Amino acid sequence: MGKEPTQEYIQVQINTPRPYRWSTGKYLGKLYKEAKGHKKLVTNRCTKCKELVYPPQMVCGRCKVEAGQDWVEMSDKGTVVQYTYLIFPRWDPHLGEYYASPYPSATILLDSGLYLRSRLEEKDTQKLKRGMRVQAVWKEEGRGRGQDDIEYFRIIEEPEVDK
Amino acid sequence: MAERVGIVAVAQTKYHPNRADVNEGELVYEAIKQVLDETGLGYGDRGKGIDASIDCSQDMWDGRTISNLGVMSYVGAHLADEDKVCEDSINALYCAMARILSGHHDIVLVATHCKESQANKSIVENAAFDPIFLRLLGLDFLAAAAMQSTRYMHKYGITVEQCAKVAVKNRGNAKNNPFAQEPLDITIEDVLRSATLASPIRLLDSKPISDGACAMILARESQAKKLTKKPIWIMGASNCYETHYPGYRELADCDALVKAAKKAYSMAGITDPFKQINVAEISEEYSYQEMLWMEGLGLCQRGDAGKLIDTGVTKMGGQLPVNPCGGMLSGKPTVVAGMANVAEAVLQLRGEAGERQVPKAKVALAHGVTGICGQHQAVMILGHN
Amino acid sequence: MANRVAIVGIGQTFHKSKRPDVNQAEMANEAVRAALTDAQLEAKDIEAVVSANMEPFEGIYLPDHWMASEMAACGKSGFKVATGGTSGASGVIEGFHLVASGLVSTSLVVGFQKHDTSDTQAGMSACMTPVFGAGASTGAISEFANQALVYMEKSGAKEEHAAMVRLKADRGACRNPYAQLKLGLKGVEEILASGHLEWPIRILDFCPQSCGACALILASEDIARKISRKPVWIADTITVHQEPFRAGSFGDPTGRETYSQDVASRKLYKRNGITNPRKDIDIAEIYEPSTWEELMHYEHYHFCDENEGWKLIEKGMTEIGGEFPVNPSGGVLSTNPIGATPVIRVAEAALQIRGDAGEHQVTRDVKTAVATALGGCNWTTMILLRRSI
Repeated sequence: MGKEPTQEYIQVQINTPRPYRWSTGKYLGKLYKEAKGHKKLVTNRCTKCKELVYPPQMVCGRCKVEAGQDWVEMSDKGTVVQYTYLIFPRWDPHLGEYYASPYPSATILLDSGLYLRSRLEEKDTQKLKRGMRVQAVWKEEGRGRGQDDIEYFRIIEEPEVDK
Repeated sequence: MAERVGIVAVAQTKYHPNRADVNEGELVYEAIKQVLDETGLGYGDRGKGIDASIDCSQDMWDGRTISNLGVMSYVGAHLADEDKVCEDSINALYCAMARILSGHHDIVLVATHCKESQANKSIVENAAFDPIFLRLLGLDFLAAAAMQSTRYMHKYGITVEQCAKVAVKNRGNAKNNPFAQEPLDITIEDVLRSATLASPIRLLDSKPISDGACAMILARESQAKKLTKKPIWIMGASNCYETHYPGYRELADCDALVKAAKKAYSMAGITDPFKQINVAEISEEYSYQEMLWMEGLGLCQRGDAGKLIDTGVTKMGGQLPVNPCGGMLSGKPTVVAGMANVAEAVLQLRGEAGERQVPKAKVALAHGVTGICGQHQAVMILGHN
Repeated sequence: MANRVAIVGIGQTFHKSKRPDVNQAEMANEAVRAALTDAQLEAKDIEAVVSANMEPFEGIYLPDHWMASEMAACGKSGFKVATGGTSGASGVIEGFHLVASGLVSTSLVVGFQKHDTSDTQAGMSACMTPVFGAGASTGAISEFANQALVYMEKSGAKEEHAAMVRLKADRGACRNPYAQLKLGLKGVEEILASGHLEWPIRILDFCPQSCGACALILASEDIARKISRKPVWIADTITVHQEPFRAGSFGDPTGRETYSQDVASRKLYKRNGITNPRKDIDIAEIYEPSTWEELMHYEHYHFCDENEGWKLIEKGMTEIGGEFPVNPSGGVLSTNPIGATPVIRVAEAALQIRGDAGEHQVTRDVKTAVATALGGCNWTTMILLRRSI
């Protein structure tokens, strides 16, 4: 895989903190406020195509027109469409860190029709099944980060949905 | 006869020190919406609407990798052509122009934004300096500009009073510009009394932090004539790099600008810029730069820009008004400034510049600058015939 | 008057995971010199320089400015572009338009990335809305895992097929002096024996992060015909971006999404009289960040029908000696300096057309090639190259 260099090279190390203050704008801001203050997910529905615009945005990217202010509160229950789980924590080349979260990740179809990528509470992979019903468990202290204020989704006792 | 490239609609947001009420996409949409409404255009394949969008933003200013992710919904990029240029936005226009002249596109939307309020200017600019030798000196563009200003003033005898005159002129011009951020009634003494930021640059010699966006639609000639009664033609355009290390450059002579201007003038058939250009919008991040760039643009001989300012010919009413809009000094974000200058030039040529109108303007010059002491320069000549 | 444009010079660095012996400017310079030598031109013959790089990785503002001298850009026209993974292709495309438009008659396109100096974590996670990370909460690997699961279920593909893609890439890389990862894998079994990271993804399913640069010199027809014995013509280009998928960054369990690859290839083929891609095109250099992505791309670029991608690899049709070679260079799976990668795809495709690919030259005669790129949230570019037009 290539020889190790035999020479000692000087390297310049620069660690500069880069502070930024981003404005969320009103649409994303509303998602954050509701998540933090009321443990709810909200988003807007495009008045033209009637699809949920997520994250909420002023313009519907697919229609290329203003989406409007038709706000919908998401149900916090959904169905697991797809899931996967960590087998061996290894270096994630895209995040540059050891990926060590023990929770399985899943694609969940909320009852409101929105797909969410989030984590599942149940670590025993034998108990996981497609079509399981799950419900959001919110973090105690929301940081105002919308969906990231959801800790994970918990399996609930409800008839499974045929996927 | 090759078709020319026309600008059919322009829009700017009112420049503001802190648009905390909107995110980047919403800000740029304020400008995009105006040009879409004005032309009635939508997005579509060639012949059916806007067939490409060129963004211009800087990841380091936005604090976001692939910063056009923040605007893609607003420029109609879904299942469409989009690209992003990372220099001053006048270069995004140059890129769009190439797309049309190459024969591959008909109507191109160009949009730019920058929210200087969201980042730390010195830290962002410091990251432009070569990481091996220069970065750790802790320079930003202000410090570098101070060096350039010192060199320029020493070599050609430019005075701080002449720099102050530029600031007084531009801040005063801004009163006539509804988009300007900070018009001011100031005197030369006010400028000289203001706090020194980095000698010899004082507070009133430099521009305030600004948020803003600009959008315009370019079209090939046959389409342009259908889309607007007043298409403005890009008669000439070019850009140019200089070497990076300030120590290797003659900071008092902006060679990159001389080259860029030469090419642009040659394309536009301009042989005597001072006589043939009726109005000029120049990116002056610091007051001395307006003079230095005028020399690079060949509007006067090297070293004579101070005298030019003294004569008053670049004031409103003079033979060649420079920055009737108030310039960057009155508040305009980096990245956006170049395209904003083109927007102002277009308004002037259309006779739509209101109180800042230069009467009977036929040929306009717009200028954009990027990097340390103007390492990258761009020039565009516009006309309405 | 619009010009026709050809590639007259090709240069790349020997891509490695670490290049402590050079800084980024020097590294890019290696590729630039190689391209100038290949074209038998000098720096003064270049009129414009278009550079491509994702600068937040290295934390550099305006890298093209720092590197102006090393990229032969002093006194020249030009600018930098960045569109995520497709940056390099955007560079080639804008370099193409500059020459085609007649604004300049030669352009130099330089793509570069030096991952050993970068803070990858900061760079990648900063792609997401700074304050909202769709999918970031589950990590990039689970996004790829999600994609693989969706594909396996939909098409019937198995893990073996992903392993076959890695094997093909490795075989190509071992024959390509410029490629980074030369693993010398013996067979699919070796790959299947390696552990999973996250079901069903293995580390061998991913591309590496490399330090490398690639440069192309483009020239107008007049100049190309004068100076080059083997100009490679850029017949057409297309860029298609898209909104993020609703149910994941890379995978689509809903089955409702339109893929930019599909839209781009349909338009490109229609405009260029390509009705049977595997016949009308001789090879493809595609941008596959993962093995599963390559199988999906076979389908989305219409090299085969839907759900048949895994059959192509199973039958060996995309091998160097196969009916329709894909990534004979080893592809992105073997070498990935992000800013340079799409330029490398074009360079490798051009080398194949010229017959200059050495040990990884494909056996069939290459008259037409397509080079693709992938970036952002599934954005696509395609560049069509021809030996003669």
